[in-house]
Amino acid sequence: MNINQAKEIVISAINDALEGKAEISEQMQLIGGQPLLDSLKLVEVCLALEDLADEHGFEFDWTSEAAMSKSRSMFRSVVALAEEFASQSEAK
Amino acid sequence: MIIVTGASRGLGQAIAERLIEKGEDVIGLARSVSGISIHAIECDVSDYTSVKNASREIKRMKKPVKAFINAAGVASMNMAVTTDESTVQRLIQTNLVGTIYCCQLFAPIMLRQKHGSFINFSTIAVALSLKGESVYAASKAGVESFSRTFAREMADFNVRVNCIAPGPIRTDLLRGITDTQIEKITSQQVIPKQFQKSDVCDLVELLLDEKAASLSGQVLNLGGV
Repeated sequence: MNINQAKEIVISAINDALEGKAEISEQMQLIGGQPLLDSLKLVEVCLALEDLADEHGFEFDWTSEAAMSKSRSMFRSVVALAEEFASQSEAK
Repeated sequence: MIIVTGASRGLGQAIAERLIEKGEDVIGLARSVSGISIHAIECDVSDYTSVKNASREIKRMKKPVKAFINAAGVASMNMAVTTDESTVQRLIQTNLVGTIYCCQLFAPIMLRQKHGSFINFSTIAVALSLKGESVYAASKAGVESFSRTFAREMADFNVRVNCIAPGPIRTDLLRGITDTQIEKITSQQVIPKQFQKSDVCDLVELLLDEKAASLSGQVLNLGGV
């Protein structure tokens, strides 16, 4: 899966969680500062990504030491989450 | 279905058998499944990969998980100064870290369902600060603390987390403990008697009942403190 496909998937999952109520940009923060998602919605996005990863034949692991770190977390921005998703799909 | 760890013996086995008797679909997790009469999956709760594999297997079953009961545990009755390093590690790794691994790796199944219940096991030794159980009690105090906070994290998803804290129950964990020692402990409870495995099973049933839907983040001390 390339980064553009991953971005599309991640943005679509976030859109679903927010029921299309927000404009989503690639650099939007998912945690810290003024996050796009509250913790409940963040979990919903992760569960959706787990399902989508399953459809693409890999396992999406959203538990990591860096998960909640502002500087290293896959949740620091929409694009960071897409990069992590694409990277895990390549590592399958 | 309901998942019970430590299902090969002791409290885990008693709980699994009681729930099966009540018509529940139970899956046991145990380090060794040979000789277990119920449907069981091999899993060492102290090993992250082993718990992860078990959670994958359960997820693949695509059945709703009503509850997860963390009954696996080890005990060692010793003063801190006479407890060797490997026993300290084993107590913390199995009782505390094992409970955390199971909760975090099985939680996504319940988060997805937006329904479910975790029952973790502590000990009355935490509330009573029982002499000679410092390391064991510390491992279980960690379970209580984890459970209270985890309950808050799960609440938005309609998932409840509670602890049962039994006193001395006659299982393998009490090997070598005399009746006099047991009486010394039970005499400190509000109800000064030794409870049985069946009393623990009753509390499990109570926590699983929809009538307990308002209970989360609680520690139920058997006999009272």
